[in-house]
Amino acid sequence: MSYHCPVCKKVSSTAMDLARHMIGRGDKVHRDWIKDKGFKYSELLTMQFQSFGNEGYEALAQVLEKETKVED
Amino acid sequence: MSKYSVIGQRVRRVDGPDKVTGSAKYTFDMVLPNMLYGKILRSPYPHAKILNIDTSKAEKLIGVKAVVTGKDTLGRKQGIWRRFPELCDEEILCREKVRYIGDPVAAVAAIDEDTAEEALDLIEVEYEPLPAVFDPLEAIKEDAPQIHDGVELNMNVTRHIEWGDVDEAFKKCDYVREDKFKCSSQAHVCMETHDAVASFDHGGKLTVWTSTQSSYYIQRLLADILDLREGDIRVIKPPTGGGFGSKFELDSAQFCAVVLSMKLRQPVKIVLSREEEFTATKRRTPMYYYLRLGAKKDGTLLAKEVRVITEGGAYTAMGATALYLTGFFSSFPYKYPNYRYDGYRVYTNTAPSSAMRGFGAPQSTFTGESQLDMLAHDLGIDPIEIRRKNGMTPDYEVPGQAFIQSCGLHECLDSIDEYIKKRGELPPNHGIGVAAYGFMSGGIFNWFDTPYAFSAALVRVNIDGKVDLFTGACDIGQGSDTTLSMICAEELGVRLEDIRIHASDTDICPADLGAWGSRETLMNGNAVKMAAADAKSQILEYAAAKMGANIVYDLDIKDQWVHLVDRPERGVSYFDMVKEAIRGRDGEVIIGRGHYTPHRKGMISPAYSFGVQAVEVEVDPETGKYGLTNVTTAHESGTVINPVGIEGQLEGAIMMAGGYGFCEDQPMDGGNILNPSIADYKLIRSLDMPETEILEIDTYEPEGPFGAKEAGEGLTNPTAGAIGNAVYDAVGVRVTDLPITPEKVFRALRDKEKQSKQS
Repeated sequence: MSYHCPVCKKVSSTAMDLARHMIGRGDKVHRDWIKDKGFKYSELLTMQFQSFGNEGYEALAQVLEKETKVED
Repeated sequence: MSKYSVIGQRVRRVDGPDKVTGSAKYTFDMVLPNMLYGKILRSPYPHAKILNIDTSKAEKLIGVKAVVTGKDTLGRKQGIWRRFPELCDEEILCREKVRYIGDPVAAVAAIDEDTAEEALDLIEVEYEPLPAVFDPLEAIKEDAPQIHDGVELNMNVTRHIEWGDVDEAFKKCDYVREDKFKCSSQAHVCMETHDAVASFDHGGKLTVWTSTQSSYYIQRLLADILDLREGDIRVIKPPTGGGFGSKFELDSAQFCAVVLSMKLRQPVKIVLSREEEFTATKRRTPMYYYLRLGAKKDGTLLAKEVRVITEGGAYTAMGATALYLTGFFSSFPYKYPNYRYDGYRVYTNTAPSSAMRGFGAPQSTFTGESQLDMLAHDLGIDPIEIRRKNGMTPDYEVPGQAFIQSCGLHECLDSIDEYIKKRGELPPNHGIGVAAYGFMSGGIFNWFDTPYAFSAALVRVNIDGKVDLFTGACDIGQGSDTTLSMICAEELGVRLEDIRIHASDTDICPADLGAWGSRETLMNGNAVKMAAADAKSQILEYAAAKMGANIVYDLDIKDQWVHLVDRPERGVSYFDMVKEAIRGRDGEVIIGRGHYTPHRKGMISPAYSFGVQAVEVEVDPETGKYGLTNVTTAHESGTVINPVGIEGQLEGAIMMAGGYGFCEDQPMDGGNILNPSIADYKLIRSLDMPETEILEIDTYEPEGPFGAKEAGEGLTNPTAGAIGNAVYDAVGVRVTDLPITPEKVFRALRDKEKQSKQS
């Protein structure tokens, strides 16, 4: 099982890893996809610096888990 | 006995006598016939539109020769990231918008500095102030003001590094720590402020004398922004009073002096004031650091996760490289099997942050070494022991990033361990903290898009045996003229006094990327060694024929003696041989050429130095006041070219890095730096300097000239972390935001008291 980035097709082994990739890229096309799903990119990123853990990544990973999973 | 006759000798600097007698002429000292003096008008707003600039009153002032604004330029944005045009975002004379307090908007040339200063007050600039943002965590919010058109969320650049399976590795850890740190800004505080003398002549030749870390970069950047040919611009670096990362980008003194000179066809000199130096040049990058570190019970490190967001200030400058390097050096000097770094650089309406000695590594070393001590304490492991267990070793590959050949980290740890044990039991309220570090010997980065070799040198052997060494390397006070002269003398087989160095003049020296990233010794040293070897081989070709030696014998030159290697008594004087060789070449002097560009050396650098530092502090537990009592550093930098040079580097680094850890900061209010003077900006002064000791560890770097590698910036990395660990060792409180001021220690002590009463 793998997770394919809906923007650039990068393959990740977990939804969390893909969430980290999408937030990490931070370019407009990735940010737009995140925004279309109802998130504010800046809020997800800020969470990563203002609190411990992976709150920002986890929120996005829940969506990615459903939408980007590919059975290999 | 050393196999070298010059390398390793304690020599005085080749530029020392001129400097200590005051006869060295810095840009600051220069006066040319008909020279005018320039001053720069700067924005008082952190973010504003420029609606109009009226220079008419200033132009009428007696003694004023010219006033220029952005309209007098081609309006090109510039930056050192020439391969990435979107990152060349700085317009030195702003035309439409200013982005920080200090952004230049106009410049005046007048018959003297006072008149130029007076004229600045007569320039009327109509601004429309815009909302401004100063903190990166605020600047990425969707409702934050946009500082550059098209850059949403003010996200300037992001950098990511990863190897291994970090998430899986954390699951396997017995112990995981999460910590946040804040790294403050720091000013370079060069003795010589930014300055330039520009002279544009009627033949269309532009000559610029300037205090710079790279004559070549300034030449090329001026060519881009002025639309001139590179060959029409000559940049000369006279003796220079410090750089520390602040002087390898095009600055306002250089650009405004040039624009004024081109308008007037007269020489124009601009020297930034100390206040301008603090407020309107670049500075060390402030960073928010989030660290997660996981280990087994025995202290074996399994995983590290690093997140960094940096206060970029108004422009990209060299901040994008600092962002990458802080991520890379967060893995140093340990063997993390699983590692992840996410870095974000965000535009803010503050003075641009950029390169400063250590280039992101002092931040990563402060945070990493603090957290490693915290983890070691939690696990009950000795701080030296946990570093031994995980430290890098020779021939180690940082996955996908770097290959480390020589590495004396473990010898440095042994040496510091021995020092601490010898020190014995400490007096009350004393503590010793250690920090380990590594650094690069020049960067394998070509964001500048140079078509030239990274370093090049030319050696000319004259008929009298005197050797002219031409190099683009920039001695900014670190001593590279001496180091390179020593390398040339050793390779050629002559004495140091036989070498005359001509450096950093773009008309007569080969291009060189300059003095940054601790690159001159290894990169330019290799080019010089190659050029000297080329010249020597030409002399030896002639000598072999002249001496009629059996071809099975090798010839060499040592200490001005051309001889058979196996029978050194059979030889002739170098001077006689050079004379005859030149005569035999139809009078053509001997020219040797050398160059160096790293290939297949990974992503970062061809070589790395390592070290461990122990800082001892004495803390007053009532007031939090503390002092640095001793700094002992075990350092390895390959073969030591000039021991005096390393000692100077070490003492300077302790002063600078100690200041970063202990007292230096640039507090702001609304984007305004509140301490822009030497009186208010707290530095470690000579009387505050602790005792220092250097424990030199022998290593040999195969990639370096005679086995040498860097000994400049790396020494700046450990001190802040070691100070934090020492304070904790002394009184049991941990400060995680720099600088670790006595006030913060006092507050931490009171918090600790409160907590212990509550419990």
